[in-house]
Amino acid sequence: MTSIYDGASDDAGTQRLATPSWLFQFMHDEMSVRELGIGSIYSVLELLAQRYSLKDVVVTLERENFCPQIFRLGGKALSVDLVARLGHSPGVFCSPDVVPASELDAVRITCQIALSLHMAHFSAAHDSLTKIANRRTFDAALAAACARSARYDWGFTLLITDLNGFKAINDSLGHGAGDDLLRQFAFAMQRSVREGDLAARLGGDEFAVILNNAGGNEATSFTDRLRCYLGEASQLIDFTVGTATSRRDSNEPNELLAIADHRLLEKKGRNGR
Amino acid sequence: MSPTEEDFELEMRNLPGVLNVEIRYREGHVGDMGNVVDAVTLIVQGQDAEVIRVMAKQIASLYFPEASVVVEDASSALAPRGVHVVRVALKGAHFIADDGTCEVELHYEGRIGVGRAGSGQLFGGAEATLVALRNLGFNIPFYLLSVVNVATARGWPVVVTLRPFADGDDVFGIAQAEGDVTSSAMATLNALNRFLSMAKSPDFSNE
Repeated sequence: MTSIYDGASDDAGTQRLATPSWLFQFMHDEMSVRELGIGSIYSVLELLAQRYSLKDVVVTLERENFCPQIFRLGGKALSVDLVARLGHSPGVFCSPDVVPASELDAVRITCQIALSLHMAHFSAAHDSLTKIANRRTFDAALAAACARSARYDWGFTLLITDLNGFKAINDSLGHGAGDDLLRQFAFAMQRSVREGDLAARLGGDEFAVILNNAGGNEATSFTDRLRCYLGEASQLIDFTVGTATSRRDSNEPNELLAIADHRLLEKKGRNGR
Repeated sequence: MSPTEEDFELEMRNLPGVLNVEIRYREGHVGDMGNVVDAVTLIVQGQDAEVIRVMAKQIASLYFPEASVVVEDASSALAPRGVHVVRVALKGAHFIADDGTCEVELHYEGRIGVGRAGSGQLFGGAEATLVALRNLGFNIPFYLLSVVNVATARGWPVVVTLRPFADGDDVFGIAQAEGDVTSSAMATLNALNRFLSMAKSPDFSNE
């Protein structure tokens, strides 16, 4: 039987953790093609089930400041009764119960790492308030879009938007209401973009959208969709847009951003917002 | 599972109180790129299920607009946590004279756990019981400290003392039956009675 312990001990007599060869091979293969994530957890459970001819496997994982997370083989449903019986303690539960405890520990730790990494990647790429892409993701996407545009001669449009009178709303209705508005706006933006486009929060009440392979018409359509979804969400929100188009205006990320920003400020100044 | 589906599931799991997420795909396909998510079922604890359903529906509308969202509240089922009664039955305990070991057989919800140990009939019976319990999947955080016969007016009951691996008080069990091995096994279960009644069931094969 493969053990997660390699038998060696440190000075304190604690056994070192070693990964079973099949699990090590899986992690090696998985990480060579993608980041570990929730999909990896289901893959590990699948491999464990195949290896020991298990009918069912459930793993319960811990998360700081969150509920424990339960994953079942094949993403199958869990009954409330089963959740109650499994409780909240981290662990791997198999049916039939034939897997050595040491191997279950290794599986649980691997799944815990996969979940933590997914959380870390997601948090690093998304804005914590609105859950859409953050500045870091936007900068990378803009650089990639510029590179693609230069290489393949594809145009794209960059939109910078800013909420009108946001400070006044924040001051009069409170920061909680301001946060709600930002969330509603981000939600409407996310609904308005096409697949493959990117909506991001740059900071404060400033948002940006990269519309791939798009010119002025697509930008107008996007703005119309955004107004439509916003109308459904709140009458309080209005916004101003500044745009810049790759190749025509510039093909350098910072320049494009500066041009779109300048046009946004011009419009706001003109409209007294 | 595509990255979009993974992020979708993570976002669902980030909702307050969500313990488990089940994603169902149209036409029964799971995880292939391009499949349409038909329904999402969340198991939630300690939150207003309707509030979570609305939040989940909003997130789902960004990823899979046609998906329906079902929320099951586990709060009531989880409320009596820790009082699940575990009934372990002693089915047999005997001494094998050929190799000088004791063998104890326990039953638990249709499963059988067998443990063997040497060290004589008193210690062997207790050790074999601990092994059998562990073979049934229980995590028993105790080790055997002592097993003694005590002289009483009505016979010689066996007293077993178990000490926890971590901090905590010793637990004692006492039993008198036909033969030392059986007495020792029964006394060990008696000592662990309270612990086992608080233990979580490791079995879910009926699901």
